[in-house]
Amino acid sequence: MPLPRPLEGIRVIDFTWVRAGPWAARWLGTFGAEVIKVEWPENLDMLRNNRFTVPAGVEPGPNSTGQFADTNANKRGVTLNVRTPRGLELVKGLIGVADIVIENFSSRIMQRWGLGYEELKKIKPDIIYVSMAGFGHTGRYHYYGTMGPAAQALSGLTFLSGLPGEPPAGWGWSYLDDTGGMYGAMCAMTALRNRNATGNGQHVDLSQMITGITLLGPAFLDSTVNGRKARREGYPPGNRTVWPGSPPVNNYRGPTVVPHNAYRTKGGGYNDWCVIACLSDQEWESLAALMGSPAWATDAKLSNLNGRIEHQEELDQGIEKWSQTLEKYELADKCQNAGVRAMPVQSSEDRVEHDPQLRARGMYTEMEHPMLGTWKFQNAPFKMSKSPPVISRPPPMIGQHNKEVFQELLGLTDDDLIEGYRDGSLWPPEMPKYPYLEEAVR
Amino acid sequence: MTSPSSNSGDPQPPGPLSGLRVLELADEKGQFCGKLMGDLGADVIKIEPPNGEKTRRVGPFLDDIPHWDRSLSFWHYNTSKRGITLNLETADGQALFRRLAANADIILETRDPGYLPSLGLGYEELSAQNPRLIMCSLTPFGQTGPWRDYKTSDLLHLGGGGQMASSGYDPEDVADAPPIAPGGGNAWHIAAHYAYMGILSSLYYRDMSGEGQYIDASVHEACALTTEGAIAIYLASGEVVSRHTGRHAAVGSSTKIQLATQDGSWVNVTRSGSNLTPARLRLLAEWMDEHGMAEDLMDDKYRDAAYIQENADHTTAVLANFFASMPQEDMWRGGQERDFPWGAIRSMDELVGDEHLQDRNFFVEVEHPELGRSFTYPGAAAIYNGSPWRISRRAPLVGEHNEEILCGELGLAKQELTLLAESGVI
Repeated sequence: MPLPRPLEGIRVIDFTWVRAGPWAARWLGTFGAEVIKVEWPENLDMLRNNRFTVPAGVEPGPNSTGQFADTNANKRGVTLNVRTPRGLELVKGLIGVADIVIENFSSRIMQRWGLGYEELKKIKPDIIYVSMAGFGHTGRYHYYGTMGPAAQALSGLTFLSGLPGEPPAGWGWSYLDDTGGMYGAMCAMTALRNRNATGNGQHVDLSQMITGITLLGPAFLDSTVNGRKARREGYPPGNRTVWPGSPPVNNYRGPTVVPHNAYRTKGGGYNDWCVIACLSDQEWESLAALMGSPAWATDAKLSNLNGRIEHQEELDQGIEKWSQTLEKYELADKCQNAGVRAMPVQSSEDRVEHDPQLRARGMYTEMEHPMLGTWKFQNAPFKMSKSPPVISRPPPMIGQHNKEVFQELLGLTDDDLIEGYRDGSLWPPEMPKYPYLEEAVR
Repeated sequence: MTSPSSNSGDPQPPGPLSGLRVLELADEKGQFCGKLMGDLGADVIKIEPPNGEKTRRVGPFLDDIPHWDRSLSFWHYNTSKRGITLNLETADGQALFRRLAANADIILETRDPGYLPSLGLGYEELSAQNPRLIMCSLTPFGQTGPWRDYKTSDLLHLGGGGQMASSGYDPEDVADAPPIAPGGGNAWHIAAHYAYMGILSSLYYRDMSGEGQYIDASVHEACALTTEGAIAIYLASGEVVSRHTGRHAAVGSSTKIQLATQDGSWVNVTRSGSNLTPARLRLLAEWMDEHGMAEDLMDDKYRDAAYIQENADHTTAVLANFFASMPQEDMWRGGQERDFPWGAIRSMDELVGDEHLQDRNFFVEVEHPELGRSFTYPGAAAIYNGSPWRISRRAPLVGEHNEEILCGELGLAKQELTLLAESGVI
């Protein structure tokens, strides 16, 4: 018997593209919702062009990118042109049998198509509409566009990553596409819960950029309550909680403690680093003992936090001399077994191949993909005892489910589909069609 | 810059999670998840040890004076909650907790794996008296696996989760730089967002089936899941990414997109170089030309897309010179008005007062009656038009609602409260 799915029976019309939006809809699918991704091949989802994630030996093309695959698992896909009368009619038909409409276009697109919330509500009175524009749909600069990195910059997130006196290091990926995506799913599920309780749908107006600001609460309050500026000496303090020689002002990551840093480990490779943090005098004493109680480490001047803050450089150098004698996993295990907080810095390869915890918990699910072959998909970061999240369907090839979706939900015939391919409502007439599109209506 | 008020008697409709009772036993790992639910209308009761949750000790503090009730970090992460104290290691404390759990919809807890079951307060026991109960344990590594009992921190999770392997500097910017863990406590945020999703999905399941369930959430897995393309790049190419200053980690080199401005700040110019069409480059060139800084970018050779692609580094260098002569505000807004999705690198204090945020009622005045003052808090990322987000109250003082909940709801007499306090239960 198939496992029950929490969002069984919920249908999502997914206009999203690139990363944040598709990631949101991906989670709805993982909880069992039926997600229909609506695309148009002339405005291809950027992730379908991500050449860095096409495996060697696989023919490049919109159906061949690994990044699109993981971001769009558990969805069916259709193509239609909403700027044709027939395409618009079809999409309205889909919305009429849907529960959720989700999109991450800039703020004016859906209105321009005649698919603003007021219109959606006429089609389906209790529809839940989640918009995920960079600046949201409300506010004077709603038309500003953002990708993850610009949203991170504007929200204040970028500024708090880096070494003092250097340019911001920022985030080495679109963190706000992850957060924006999670938030999009959260908004949809919250509004669904509200619909269950009240019978009412609504428009949830999410701003990707603002999701970042909500992650900076302590820094925000330090500004509005204490008047403290973030542009100050010694901030941001890299991996430390306080930069040597700077006043010990809280850095918004947690308590001010020393040691708290990244240290090189044996091998000296690019990712041969380990992070260690001692949150108490006792944890520091345990680390000193683990290092073999060298004289510098057992010096009384390091026995309390003030002393460790004052002598942080010397202390970090001492730790690194020791850490370089051990391989990073070995070091972390030794530390943890001695009650010292430590973890290896893990690359993508480390997580997929070497992390024993992720392996034991089954972080990656293998599934057959028509172009990529056996491919690993990332699972949800939690186990549920009764209605587990499941990755059960590879991502759609572009237009793959035109026949199945339009026939099942809107009663179209093969002749209707052929006509749609001819008149440009279901596929650009000038563009060659993939064999699977032709074969479906042969 | 004020708007949605935190006063009761609000005429607006209730929040989307109203009617749900949440018990929170959470430190830094879970307090944000509790706030997410509380601000959306759930009745969140934070249950702290008698001397207060340890997150009350985290700075910064109001006026830099440390006190249980003055941690700005605690303030932020615990809005819209009520608070009681309960020593769960006493029989009386356990009995009171069981009574609360009998009427709760959700328990969110971040204690060490096995701790609550060792007190007879595991999901098995609690769901036996309340089958509709949803319980989410949010712990560093989950309830199983070889690292289950390892101790962590935000820094450790960003190391193990892969955030650090992707973040840092180009060697020419900072020689020999370590991988960098971005600040702000984001391991907990990432985990809280996913835990929230798990909880919401189980609520939906409960609406259909009538049954609660247990959710075993892992901060480590949440972080490991949050590095965008790094995993897919490895799976496709067998390569790991290198760290680059202020932009995506990548295999090999990439165009710089963090440009310094004349006033000592920076602007992120994502997609300025390699994805420029001739028409869009022309738009930029004309803007630079107005300031006499277009160099050769007005030349006809830039009408050829391939030429632009091949000379992306040069284009970026010319652009960088232009940025270096202009203030940050003019540059990012000037870009946006020309449809370039650029963003100023703002520090937190620089966005307080932002007009767009004011339009969205983002800045929320929250009253602190014990201080006779109110303070400006960050508001909502999403406007729920039918069932608003709101901060219903400031974070609870230690044990603030002991009487209201233990006497008012569970029916204890005030004298019993005194006995519980004297015996260290509350």
